[in-house]
Amino acid sequence: MASENIIEVQKLHVGFERKIALSSLSFSIQKGERVALIGPSGAGKTTLLNTLATFITPTEGELQITGLNHQDSKNRKKLAKKIGMIRQQFDLVSPLPVIHNVLAGRLADWGFFKSLFSLLVPQEKTLAMKALDRVGLKDKLYARTSTLSGGEQQRVALARLLVQKPEIILADEPVASLDPARAEDVLSILAKLVTEENQTLIASLHSVEYAKKYFTRVIALRDGEIFFDLPSEKIEDQNLAALYELKGKS
Amino acid sequence: MSAKPDFFRYYKKSYLTIILIGIFVWSLFAVQWNSDLIHAGGFVTIMQMLGALFQPDFSKEILELAIESTWITLSYAVAGMTLAFIIAFVLGVLASGILFGESRISILMKSFFRGLLGFLRAIHELVWAWIFVASFGLSPYAAIFALALPYGGILGRIFADMLTDVPKEPIEALNSTGASKFQVLLYGYLPMVKTNILSYTMYRFECSIRSSAIMSFVGLGGLGYQIQLSLDDLQYDEVWTFIYFLIAIVVLIDLWSSQLRNKLNAPSKHWFVPFSSILTVFLVAGSWGYVYFVDKASFLALFSQENLAYAKKFFAGMLGIGEENPAFLDRESWSNALLLTYDTLRMSIMAIGFSTIVMFLTVIPAARNVANGTLTLAPKWYSWISFGFIRLCYIFSRAIPELVWAMMIIFILKPGILPGAIALALHNFGILGKLCAEVIEDLDERPIRHLSSSGASKAQILMYGVIPSVLPQFLTYILYRWEVIMRTTIVVGFVGAGGLGQQFKLSMSFFHYTDLTLLLFCYLILVWISDYISEWARKTAR
Repeated sequence: MASENIIEVQKLHVGFERKIALSSLSFSIQKGERVALIGPSGAGKTTLLNTLATFITPTEGELQITGLNHQDSKNRKKLAKKIGMIRQQFDLVSPLPVIHNVLAGRLADWGFFKSLFSLLVPQEKTLAMKALDRVGLKDKLYARTSTLSGGEQQRVALARLLVQKPEIILADEPVASLDPARAEDVLSILAKLVTEENQTLIASLHSVEYAKKYFTRVIALRDGEIFFDLPSEKIEDQNLAALYELKGKS
Repeated sequence: MSAKPDFFRYYKKSYLTIILIGIFVWSLFAVQWNSDLIHAGGFVTIMQMLGALFQPDFSKEILELAIESTWITLSYAVAGMTLAFIIAFVLGVLASGILFGESRISILMKSFFRGLLGFLRAIHELVWAWIFVASFGLSPYAAIFALALPYGGILGRIFADMLTDVPKEPIEALNSTGASKFQVLLYGYLPMVKTNILSYTMYRFECSIRSSAIMSFVGLGGLGYQIQLSLDDLQYDEVWTFIYFLIAIVVLIDLWSSQLRNKLNAPSKHWFVPFSSILTVFLVAGSWGYVYFVDKASFLALFSQENLAYAKKFFAGMLGIGEENPAFLDRESWSNALLLTYDTLRMSIMAIGFSTIVMFLTVIPAARNVANGTLTLAPKWYSWISFGFIRLCYIFSRAIPELVWAMMIIFILKPGILPGAIALALHNFGILGKLCAEVIEDLDERPIRHLSSSGASKAQILMYGVIPSVLPQFLTYILYRWEVIMRTTIVVGFVGAGGLGQQFKLSMSFFHYTDLTLLLFCYLILVWISDYISEWARKTAR
């Protein structure tokens, strides 16, 4: 059953006050796909991700996520099982040791006392260790998160996603503040993990090169509309040139 | 394998927290917890005081008296701060060592001036006031000098630090042009630290108003004096009138100083800055003019033969000259003083413990970003009400000096360590709460939002997101306030709230001057130890 749709978007329309951020987008994403969102700044990539994460309610149109009805999306715990987010590395609690940042992915399942006790004696430690091992940070279990480099911090965020185990991963510029070597490192781990876990990945990126290398499909946005939507191997240079062309010239 | 040292580093903090909590619990054993702590009519008095809180006396005479006392308090504070600024400037430049070279004598000079500033700072302004009143008599200058010395010490220390922290490149450039040390000071150092020096002085000005108000307790006029008189007459409605005036002036100065600090740091010039300069000149001239012409306090008369004889007698008494058995050579006096020192230490720990507990209970709704829901993504209709109420309590707590709190509490609780600790806690939880709420307001919101979006509950967000991020900063503030409390313990003792201060006042009334020397010595040691411990704890927490 490879052709099972997990996300269905129909005539999606998002506006802020009078400005249109996204206008009548329609697409569907199958389970297991790795989709890159590209496009110039201000094209609506972040807005689209936040809409898919149900943080933003669309003004018009429909968003269907398989197995998630309207009621569920109000319940943060249920939502967390379905959708996980990863951004630039700034969303880790930097004074905490790495292990607690990883275990934060389990908070949706933990009660009050277990979470409190875990700060003293880490719970489900093997789970955290396995996750850190898979991102190559086995020896940083108790290191203070703020002492890690940018790339390592982003790998901690990946380990947290492994622990959280959402079906869909939304990544907003996951490698924007990393140097090229670290960026490739993080993206290759991300792509590998998503494939192993049979998760669905949707990531916004600045670099077309990375999109082609690590993703199966590329959706290009421009001015809140879909400019093209192609499998990554079918993208050609003229598509890209048109996408990033400055408005005045066209 | 680097996981092991990391593991210990992480748990070092937990150990520190457990040790600190343990010390607080231990301090609680200093009090016999039973109904004997409260005066027979204590509860009635509380109700009367609370009742009067909402019905202050606003009759014409009281209002006139309050306005006059407010002006006296303000003018002593302004006059004291002008002297303090001069002292701080001169000593601060000397203590920074920028006028000296690298030779051994220069380093010695530098540490001498640092030590001098530390000494001025260590003794509380009210103790200075006692000493000055004992030698000069009840002159406004006793209050002004008593403010000038400790504030000079505090400001001077900060000025010295600012001067040493100046970026080195422009200074080296000036040196290479062949400028003298003095020219480098004028053209290099001073222009670079000017704004910071002004900001910090303005910030301290607000504290000096409160200090000036309590100067009244050694018999010098002002708001504190009126509060004391009304309390002695059991006129609680008048007490609150004067307290409201005190709160009003403190809040006004606080607003002025924070506005000015904002505008000073702004890139473009704002009309508020020249306006403040004019206001400052007016205040300084008005205050000194008032002290000189209206109070008719002659500066030269301070150094009359009579006063000189008094001062001589006082200091000779303190040094035990002509005394057969000075207290500081007496074994029993020592053991008694050390016992009091121990009590005072426990009082200070209890005080910081109480304020910390109240702060933790109130600080979260007191943060603006919690009240408007940006931090927790869950705004509630009552958020702003609890925010406003807690912030009002903070202002109330902060604006009333610990001595005034102590005087009121002593009507309810019997003399001892507990009333002292409660008075200190009542004044400090507002300060601590305000500082810590600001820490939460400055928190990076992104990790918190992420926790929220990954399904963490409110309590979990608190445990995993907020507390670990703010705790180191909180600990710094708590330790810093503990140092301040340590210095103030002696003051609440003056009104009978136990510890070294209570004994200090008794010895003063019996003219046992050598006792005073011994007690002051113990007090200085305590202040020094607390500074040292708090510095160590802060380093450990880092």
